Amino acid sequence: MSNYPKTRREFLKQAAMFVAGATLASCAPATTTQAPPQGEATQPAAAQPSGAGDEEIQPGVLRRECLILEDPTGTATPADDFNRWRPGTRTYSTGLQQLALDALWYIDPDAGVNGVWDNAVAAEKPIYNEDFTTMTVKLRQGLYWSDGVEFTAEDLYYTVDVQMKNDGWSYTGQFRGNIESMEMPDKYTVVFHLKAPNSRFHSFFTVRWGACFMMPKHVFEKQEDPLAYKFNPPVSLGAYTLKDFDPNGNWFLWQRRDDWQRTSLGLLGEPKVKYAMYIAPGPSDKRVIAQMEHKLDVIHDITPEGRITLAQKSPSSIGWFKSFPWAHPDPTLPAVIYNNEKPGLDKREVRWALTLAIDIVRVAMASYKGAATISAIHVPPTGMYPKYYFEPLEDWLKNFTIKVGGQDYKPFDPDACNRIAEEARKTLGDLVPTDPAEIRKSLGAGWWKYDLKAAEQLMLDAGMKRGSDGKWKLPDGSDWKVPMMSMNQSNPTMNRCASMVAECWSEFGVDTMLDARDNPWDIMSLGEYSANLAWTIETWGGHPDLFFFLSSWHSKFYQPSGTRASGSNSMRWKNPELDRIIESIQKLDFDDPKGIELGQEFIKLAAQEMPITPLMAYNVFTVCDTTYFTGYPTAEDPYTDPVPNWANTKYMFIKIKPKA
Amino acid sequence: MRKFLLHYLLPRIAQYLTVIFIGITVTFIIPRLSPTDPVEAQVSMILSSGSAVDPEAIEHMRQALTEMYGLSGSPLEQYIAFWGRLLRGDLGPSLSTFPTPVTRLIGQALPWTLGLMLTAVILSWIIGNVLGALASYYPKSKLIYAIDLMSQAVRPIPYYVVALVLLVVFAYLIPIFPFSGAYPVGTRPSLTPSFVLIYLKHSALPALTLILVGFGGWFIGMKSLTSNIISEDYVVYAETTGIKERKILTQYVMRNAMLPQITGLGLSLGTVFSGALIMEVVFQYPGMGMLTLQAIFRNDYSLIMGIAIYSIIGVATSVFLMDLIYPLFDPRVRYQ
Repeated sequence: MSNYPKTRREFLKQAAMFVAGATLASCAPATTTQAPPQGEATQPAAAQPSGAGDEEIQPGVLRRECLILEDPTGTATPADDFNRWRPGTRTYSTGLQQLALDALWYIDPDAGVNGVWDNAVAAEKPIYNEDFTTMTVKLRQGLYWSDGVEFTAEDLYYTVDVQMKNDGWSYTGQFRGNIESMEMPDKYTVVFHLKAPNSRFHSFFTVRWGACFMMPKHVFEKQEDPLAYKFNPPVSLGAYTLKDFDPNGNWFLWQRRDDWQRTSLGLLGEPKVKYAMYIAPGPSDKRVIAQMEHKLDVIHDITPEGRITLAQKSPSSIGWFKSFPWAHPDPTLPAVIYNNEKPGLDKREVRWALTLAIDIVRVAMASYKGAATISAIHVPPTGMYPKYYFEPLEDWLKNFTIKVGGQDYKPFDPDACNRIAEEARKTLGDLVPTDPAEIRKSLGAGWWKYDLKAAEQLMLDAGMKRGSDGKWKLPDGSDWKVPMMSMNQSNPTMNRCASMVAECWSEFGVDTMLDARDNPWDIMSLGEYSANLAWTIETWGGHPDLFFFLSSWHSKFYQPSGTRASGSNSMRWKNPELDRIIESIQKLDFDDPKGIELGQEFIKLAAQEMPITPLMAYNVFTVCDTTYFTGYPTAEDPYTDPVPNWANTKYMFIKIKPKA
Repeated sequence: MRKFLLHYLLPRIAQYLTVIFIGITVTFIIPRLSPTDPVEAQVSMILSSGSAVDPEAIEHMRQALTEMYGLSGSPLEQYIAFWGRLLRGDLGPSLSTFPTPVTRLIGQALPWTLGLMLTAVILSWIIGNVLGALASYYPKSKLIYAIDLMSQAVRPIPYYVVALVLLVVFAYLIPIFPFSGAYPVGTRPSLTPSFVLIYLKHSALPALTLILVGFGGWFIGMKSLTSNIISEDYVVYAETTGIKERKILTQYVMRNAMLPQITGLGLSLGTVFSGALIMEVVFQYPGMGMLTLQAIFRNDYSLIMGIAIYSIIGVATSVFLMDLIYPLFDPRVRYQ
């Protein structure tokens, strides 16, 4: 008689049946436990492109009525968390900050719809008292949240109050550090009393990509824990509401509000796009293919090779510039950032020598296939900055001198952009413009000379020595290594850029190598590096005020290597003249024209000291498909930035219209 | 039975728990040795967003986030608190998507991974073993030889190359399969027949690539195992007694070669919890691989720990179960 209740075969059969059942159950894909947030229930829809845009993206949503844009954040998880005011939320550029949220003011990185400044939910510009210790905000009347509640001063007051009084919000530190008290004299006015004079307090509420957006008090005040609240479905102050989204975070569908006239965007015109969908289309190649198949209207960014493919094979695809270099130059300045505390790099002559040892033509070709907008000075050559800074300083740049071997030396090379165009023409032919004015506008207004002889002399001036192996040594004869840190293949253009800079330096005798990292930012902040290809300068783009990045460059915020930098002074640059300029800017009104003069003083100082070597604008290959929609922003009609994750791109929706 | 419990089962359970304890402890330590930390990653994200930030506020931001994420105590205090939570079944909140619970993020990604990976692993195991046995038993068959050749040719090619080639051929040049994702844009996942069809269509190509690359290993293993067995006396004897070839192949040859393959299957099934990162990237398939990558990039301690715990328990449990059920597959194995 058997010791077991079942035979081995019986047990195996039953176990197999159980496992098969369990496996089938586990294979079932996840389902959402929540109904679509707003709008009707939805069913899967198989879409086949017909060419006329009659296919449905979802039931009732025709392709030709739905603008499809790339969200560069990729898959946004968790997809149902729309609390934009808490650090860590991943849904910010799924259309949330572009279409549903709104802020007091916007500064356009380009020319703007009606100028660069827009009073969005504010009725007028910020009103400061004489010593900048109070800021009064007057709000527009007649703006409504998508649930029908009016937007008032209560919302602004709550937005600031809840973040100031509780830890963990994105603006807790900013508000707590600046605000003494607030008052609400009437339904549409809020007065901020500041702890110390601050002429740039409004910056926290002014959108440049993002800002502190308005919170609906009537929604958040009902939550037991507003910080943990997911804000799902988001109640919108913008012209669109969330219609549906993928619980796995791959797409978010927005629908124009019926009452769009009661939003700040509606005051500028009718949003003609009925639906907008932000998707995570995958790597660069997939985005290219998706646009060639007219399944993706606005690509955020692709590789230069991908852009060239679209230029050659997709006649309906357009970029910021009509032809080469196509890309939109973002108001961000990729640069070689030196740790100004490292031996050797602490000498101005050495930093200048390294600058003159860079062949910008090769760097532009390696990084962007030539489609780079170069900048010799320490602001990005984008938006309105050519007018504010590049054109006024052109003559100064041509005559600017540094001491090389005790002699005056003019390092500026106004012809660099033409040489880049010439080099690019070898592979791209007629796609590259020949008109010098066009080249200057799109590729930049010159750079520093590639002059190894001058660089050599500067190194000798700094006391550096050539070793028997041809490598540069420190004045005491010890080895001098300058590893070039950069982002890895997660950012191929910057990676290739760094690689070429390292190659140039290596040819000059610098002991260097490419040190590509997943996250070089943290290492840079700690100062545990020698050189890094990244950026520490970001500007408003449309507005000349440089306090945006200079605020943290004052020596009072200086942190030595080993301690995390406060703000963007990761290069550890300290200079009394710089402090004077920053303090002077801070005392001025935001729009005071003297701000531009002080900005120019900063540029002249930075050129002398060369704490970082500016390279080029952060060019973004945003590509728009004109198959179903027209009216995208371009260099000819620069009414806003087309890069779709910027909150400023809300203005696109009143200009873009269905082609039909 | 008592002997089995005392001399085999209890020591194996103790060993199983020890493996899990060590694995989890190591996973707790490793991310903390990384030069980056999740608070800084979060602060960097806020700073790199391009909005105005007051430098004086940054330090406050760091302190508040450190406190909120439970990273303010010493590593030992954090370790003790972690085990306290874990024993209550709480993996804590994800630090990069605070305060979303880690279990929720994993729960969202895991079904997609299990659905595809389990199917692919089991199918490649079955196909590889059956063909491997056939290749050994019928060495002169041209068809089997061709399959053998193909498996040898595909096996050394890196997975991402195979995946990309198949993707370009079957989704772009000859668009039989969808280009990416587990379902089209605009579709919400649901347990409806129409969605299941859509899902199967989308997951077919990723599964095919995994099977194509995966079955070769099983094929070679089974072929070499069975090639020894077919020359055993009992197989020769069975042939001389006129027993049907099919029966000899399945019950005399394959069955005796199965034990190491079953062990291998157990280990493979255990590893599916960590997903197939390259497949997920190439096909933009949602799953544990991408979640793991995001957790590592953002140095999200809690999420890394959560995923690792699932993986460690998955592998340890598979091996433990395989040890226990060997006698069911091979009656010659006994615990005495």
